[in-house]
Amino acid sequence: MKHYRLLPLVAVVVMFAAVRVIAADVKLIANGSIKADMISATEVKSVFLEEHSSLRDGTHVEPVLETDGPVHQAFLHEYLGGTDDDLQNYYRALVFSGRGSMPKQLGSDAEVVAYVVRTKGAIGYVNAETIVEGVKTLTIVRGGNDAQRKLITRVEPEYPDTLKRLNIGGTVRLQLTIAPSGNVEVVEVLGGNPILGEAAVAAVKQWVYSASHSRTIAELSIPFGSHP
Amino acid sequence: MHKRILGLIFLCLGLPAGQIGLQAQEFKLLDRTVQVHGFVSQGFIYTNDNNWLTMNTSQGSAAFTDFGLNMSSRVTDKFWIGAQGYDRNLGQLGQYHPSLDWAVADYRFKSWFGVRGGKVKTRLGLYNDTQDEDFLRAFALLPQSVYPTDIRDATIAHLGADVYGTISLARHLGAISYTAFAGHRSDSIYSGYAYLASEFGLYYSRYGGLQYGADLRWNTPLKGLLIGASRMNQDLTGAGKIVNPLSPSAGFVPETERSKTDWINQFYGEYTFAKLRIDSEYRRFVNDEDDLIGDSVLLSINSDVRGWYVSGAYRIAKRLEVGSYYSHYTIGHVASGPLAVLFPDQTNPGLPANHVYDKVITARLDLKRFWDVKLEGHFMNGYGSSVYPDGFYPQVNPQGFKPNTTALVVKTGINF
Repeated sequence: MKHYRLLPLVAVVVMFAAVRVIAADVKLIANGSIKADMISATEVKSVFLEEHSSLRDGTHVEPVLETDGPVHQAFLHEYLGGTDDDLQNYYRALVFSGRGSMPKQLGSDAEVVAYVVRTKGAIGYVNAETIVEGVKTLTIVRGGNDAQRKLITRVEPEYPDTLKRLNIGGTVRLQLTIAPSGNVEVVEVLGGNPILGEAAVAAVKQWVYSASHSRTIAELSIPFGSHP
Repeated sequence: MHKRILGLIFLCLGLPAGQIGLQAQEFKLLDRTVQVHGFVSQGFIYTNDNNWLTMNTSQGSAAFTDFGLNMSSRVTDKFWIGAQGYDRNLGQLGQYHPSLDWAVADYRFKSWFGVRGGKVKTRLGLYNDTQDEDFLRAFALLPQSVYPTDIRDATIAHLGADVYGTISLARHLGAISYTAFAGHRSDSIYSGYAYLASEFGLYYSRYGGLQYGADLRWNTPLKGLLIGASRMNQDLTGAGKIVNPLSPSAGFVPETERSKTDWINQFYGEYTFAKLRIDSEYRRFVNDEDDLIGDSVLLSINSDVRGWYVSGAYRIAKRLEVGSYYSHYTIGHVASGPLAVLFPDQTNPGLPANHVYDKVITARLDLKRFWDVKLEGHFMNGYGSSVYPDGFYPQVNPQGFKPNTTALVVKTGINF
């Protein structure tokens, strides 16, 4: 009886997992030396294009990329824009005009994780479902005045036991409306597993940001299943 | 020449047959990673009439080779060093005399403020600092109205320093990147300017001077749209020897050249959307100079060179990109002084001697990730023969110029 109850849940989870195989979800991982827990999508772009060599808190960062494959393509599409050829040409322009180096490019999630673990300041991306240890998973904030709203209180979402047992994770995308006082007023799930979404919403509603003159709309990506 | 063509054919046939891979190299030095990158390209140009770019192109010429090799290393989080050697042969220019292309020590205090010093590539417009690396683009030759390859020395690098940075703008207004530079320009005596001067019996032993300026570019909130502007001022001197046409019996006498006014303004925009890239630039170069023997000014020339282009390229398949551009170049000058009679004023840009209008189509095939082949057609009107170089030189066109030139350019290159 107990098992029958679980079946619809497993079916939903499997369905979402299948969708993710087609369009890979990515998560951003960082070496333990990086202080920040969150990074804006704009910052991700500027770090990987070597326009910025440090985060807003002053921490040095060094990007590491994957050479090809669905995770790399998803990252390009989601955060950098353009094709891999465009990106390679961009880096080659830096290299041959004396304005920078080619960032490290590795062939698999496992290699990226291993590099990020041992390299101070390293920041990379892997499939959202890759199990990672010894690195930090960064929450990516999108849109709104994210650059101006500092997160003061953060409550980690609870990873539902059933999904944890089945080793099923993923990334949930949320849209938040942050009140001028800093409280999170509204949280809407934009994408991801609905069960994980519920857990994420429950946690994020307790978050508190710094005060501001106006209301802020922001987007977040919260990964489940692979925290160190 | 035939050896070069055979080499080119061998390269084209040989590389795809084998499973050759080419990638950047790295090694450790003093516990630091050193990256090694390089490129080499070989071109062939055939023209129907006028000889172009100092090559004997009307017979077909493969005297169109260049290569570069660089090494760089990140010493600390903020400190980066590197250097690149470059060599080329373009008809009568370069002649395989290697040069230090850039050698830079770069310290980035913050993302919005960094300093680089040494021999630094000059940021001027979209492509000045990457003009030698044609593998970054669909085209074998950049629009010559704005990036004349025969006088690359004039703008390519300065021995001095830059300050630079990128500032993210609030309210999602994009980002501004700035570079301000100052330094010394030093032309090779194998450059187009010295070669053109030799036509008038003037042989430079050195040419160069102070350059300073700035570049400002805005990555706008509209995804893929970049706009910018650059400015460069120069204070140049040249020294050499000349046979004074007013007293040829004296033989060679020392000659000096001094610029009174010398500046470049450049405005540009680039838009990329998926596999499409469109860009356009405008450059105006104004030069007012005196040529002296001793303290006597024999010639004063005021030149006004204006160029612009509109270019588009589209990748129609993973390995195939096509493109086209229209390049518009005009030159005018006014001369005064005892030798002015030898350099009649050129003020009508409509005359073929005062312009080059170039319509271009190109196709680029990426045989491997590191290896491309380009086929390009240039349909030019005008030859812009003047006191300033623009691709067409009287020395290699002793029969005189014809108003139209059609050129076929084939170029292949590898990079790692």
